[in-house]
Amino acid sequence: MGGFVSFFSGIGWLDIVDILLNSYILFRLYVLFRGTKTFRVLVGIAFLWFLQRAAFALGLVLFSWAIQGITAAGALIVIIVFRNEIRSVFQATDLKSIFWGIPGKVYGTPVEIIVESMFELARKRIGALLVIPGNDDLDEYLNNGIDWQGVVSKEMLLSIFFPDNPVHDGATVIKGGRVEKVGVILPLSERTDLPSYLGTRHRAALGLSERTDALVLLASEERGEVVAAKDRGLEVFYHPRGLEETLNIHLGLSTKEEQELLKQRRDLITAGVLSFSFVFITWYSITRGSDTLVALEVPIEYIKSDPEVEIVESSTNTVRLHVSGSSFLIKSIRPGQVRVRVNISETTGRKQVDIPLDAVSLPPGVLLKKVEPSEVTVFLTKSTVKKIPVQAHWIGKLPDHLIMTESAVTPQAIKVAGKSHLLKDLDTVYTEKIPLDNIRRSGRISARVILDSPALSVASGENRVTVEYRVQERDN
Amino acid sequence: MNLWKCYVPAVVCFCLLMLLGPAWPVEKKSASGLVLDTAVMCETVEGIAPVNRAVVFSLDIGEVYCFTSFTDIHRETVVYHKWYRCDQLSTSRRLTLKPPRWSTVSKLQFREADKGPWRVEIVDKSGQILKTIRFSIVD
Repeated sequence: MGGFVSFFSGIGWLDIVDILLNSYILFRLYVLFRGTKTFRVLVGIAFLWFLQRAAFALGLVLFSWAIQGITAAGALIVIIVFRNEIRSVFQATDLKSIFWGIPGKVYGTPVEIIVESMFELARKRIGALLVIPGNDDLDEYLNNGIDWQGVVSKEMLLSIFFPDNPVHDGATVIKGGRVEKVGVILPLSERTDLPSYLGTRHRAALGLSERTDALVLLASEERGEVVAAKDRGLEVFYHPRGLEETLNIHLGLSTKEEQELLKQRRDLITAGVLSFSFVFITWYSITRGSDTLVALEVPIEYIKSDPEVEIVESSTNTVRLHVSGSSFLIKSIRPGQVRVRVNISETTGRKQVDIPLDAVSLPPGVLLKKVEPSEVTVFLTKSTVKKIPVQAHWIGKLPDHLIMTESAVTPQAIKVAGKSHLLKDLDTVYTEKIPLDNIRRSGRISARVILDSPALSVASGENRVTVEYRVQERDN
Repeated sequence: MNLWKCYVPAVVCFCLLMLLGPAWPVEKKSASGLVLDTAVMCETVEGIAPVNRAVVFSLDIGEVYCFTSFTDIHRETVVYHKWYRCDQLSTSRRLTLKPPRWSTVSKLQFREADKGPWRVEIVDKSGQILKTIRFSIVD
C-alpha cells in the first residue's frame, strides 16, 4: 500500500501532462486511421514490436533480432505501400479535424443525400427513379441495368438523371452507400384504377412496390413532386423531413443508427483506454525503470549581461554533475541536452560564483543529485580608459659638470585604453629611453610612450610626448 | 551714486582677483590643514636646505634625498615618503611633523640595480597624495 502511495506521489503534474498528451496523440492517430488498411498493418507492426521486446526479455536473441528486422522493414513498407492512403487521410481532413472531433462513419444508406437529391431533381423538374431495396430479392424484377458501383453523392445522382445522360431514363438502385445499378427497367403496375395523370415513371414505381417490399422514390418531371411508392401505394412529399422519416423507417435506421452509435462510442472508449495504458506503460518503463547513477563532466557556460565584461581566468571550466534516472534515459542523453549556465554580475575583479541547481538543465526524467564544485572563482575584467601620468625615462650619463634641474612632459598624462585589471595598478607610463650623454644645454625632445602590455593602447592614438628639460652648471 | 562709486571698484577688484588668482603659487593643503611648502629631490641636505636639486641622479652620487617642508601644522602628525621604482613600491618612510612648521627628509642609497625611473609620493596620514616627485637614477 505504501509503495502504491509513494509511486503516485512521485508523479508530478508535468508527468501527467506528458502522459495525457501522448495518449491523446495516439488516440487521434486511431481516430484518423481507423478503418484503413494502414491502421490494420500498424496494429500488426505494434504487435511485432511487443513480440520482439518479449523475445529479447526472454533471451531469444536471434529471434528478437529477426523480429526487429521485420518490424523495421514493415514500418518502411507501410510508408511506401500505403503512402496514398496516408496522404489522403491528412489531405481529406482539415487541421482542426486532425486534432479535434470524431469524424462520423457512414454505416448504411446516406439518407440525407438521397432526400436532398430527390428534392433538387424535383425542383429542377428532372425525372428520376430511385429504388431502395428492402428484404426481398429484386433480381427477377430488375431488367437490363448497368453496373455502377459508385459511392452515393448528390452530384452523382443529379448527373445520372440529367436529361442528356444515356442512363437517365431508367431507375437507379441504391444499396448501402453505393449506387449499384443505373438504367434499370422496372415492371409496370397492372392496376387499372390509377389516375390518368400518372405517367410511366409512376406506374413503374408502383409496379415494383406491388411485387416487392422495396421503396421506390420518384421525382416528377411534369408536376415537380417527390413521390414514394411503397406497399402498393403512392405518397407525395412536400417537405424533406417526411421523406427522411419514410426512408429511415424503410431502412430500419432508427434502431440501427443507435446501435452503430453505441458501437462507435464503445470503440472510441476502448481506443482511449488502450492509448492511455500503452503510453502509461511506455512512460513508466522509460522514466521509472531501474535507477542509474552517473557523473557527467559538463562545460560551464557563463551568461553576462554586459558584453564588455570578459572572463580572464576561471578556477575550473567544467563541473561534474551527478545525475540519476532510468538506464534508458541516461543512455539517451546527448551532449547538448545537459547544460550548466551561470549568471555572472557586471562587477569586475576576482569573485566566487555559486552554481545553483537551477543553473543546470537536464533532459526530462533525469534528476540532478549533486554539482561538483558548487562554486567557481572567476576573474572578470572590462575594457576601460584611464588617464595616466607620463614620466621621461632617462638613461646614460649626464656630463659631470651638468645637473638636470627640471624635466617636464607635455602632455603630463595620456589616456590609456585596456582591460581594467591591467590598468588598475598602472600609475605611470614611461617614455622610450632618452639618452643623456649628448645633452649639453636645456632643450626639448620628442619621445614615444612605451606601454608594457600589447593589450594596452593609447586612447587618443597619438603616442608621442614632448619632454622639456633644463640643465645647468653644477655649483660645486 | 555712492553705491555706484563703491560697487564698481569692488566688482573690478573681484574680477582681477579671480583672473590673477590661479597664477599665484598654490600650496597643496592636506585634509588635516597641513600645507606642503616644498618638495624636491636633491643630492644632499645641508642644515635644513636641499642642495643640488635635480631630476636626474648619477649612480656615482650613491644616494638621493627627498626634501619636504610643511607649514600650518596644528598638531604633531605624520607623513609618508613612498618611493616607487618603475611603478613598484620600493620603500615607504614614516616621518613625524611637529607644529607649526617642519622640514623632513628621507634618503635612498642606491645600487646598480636601482637605475631607472623613480617617483616619490608624499602622502599624509589619511592617505591623500600631497605631491608626486619624479626623477631618474642613471649611470
